[in-house]
Amino acid sequence: MSTLMVIDQPPYGTWAGREALDMAFSLAAFDQSVTLLFTGSGVNWLRMSQQPGGVEQKSLEKNLSAAPVFGVEAIYADAAACARYGLTVENMIAGVAIASSSELLPKYTHTAFAG
Amino acid sequence: MAPINTLHILNKAPEHPRSLACMSVLQSGDALLLTENAVLALAVNSIDPGVPVFALAPDLAARGLESGIQGASLVDYAGMVDLTTHAQKLINW
Repeated sequence: MSTLMVIDQPPYGTWAGREALDMAFSLAAFDQSVTLLFTGSGVNWLRMSQQPGGVEQKSLEKNLSAAPVFGVEAIYADAAACARYGLTVENMIAGVAIASSSELLPKYTHTAFAG
Repeated sequence: MAPINTLHILNKAPEHPRSLACMSVLQSGDALLLTENAVLALAVNSIDPGVPVFALAPDLAARGLESGIQGASLVDYAGMVDLTTHAQKLINW
């Protein structure tokens, strides 16, 4: 049983993405196979040097860096969305593989979207 | 600061249908203020809606976007409030 958690919600603007990340981490903590896919405006989660102090929120960048510790299998970013938002390997956080959503979706037994 | 006819305050991401609606009604004499998720529009391409564009700096910083922004002038919270005082009408999208 493999789960793909898709986050297409923009960072910091809504809580839906954070809730999905918590769900993914919980699944991983219970040794479920969980993979994260960021797509749409969700790819903006992955941009480096986020400074959310001015909006009084904790950094999602740091939050995400815990993914390997929880045992999340992999973190993917949708290629088309990355191109749209000007994201490349240089300005994205480490450990993210750029892939195509349409190729990934059929590979998982259970897929859920944030929000 | 030139007087503003209608100040459009947009906080939706570019994909959100309300962002498209907002862009479609901008007229000369108006101004556009991007806050929260709407600042992501500046990462897509430097938008050129034909009206002055402002963006809230803390929201850009939160998303790691505040360096190399074209097509918008940055304002802080106080600057945002000041902008609203220059507008005859406001639309919060």
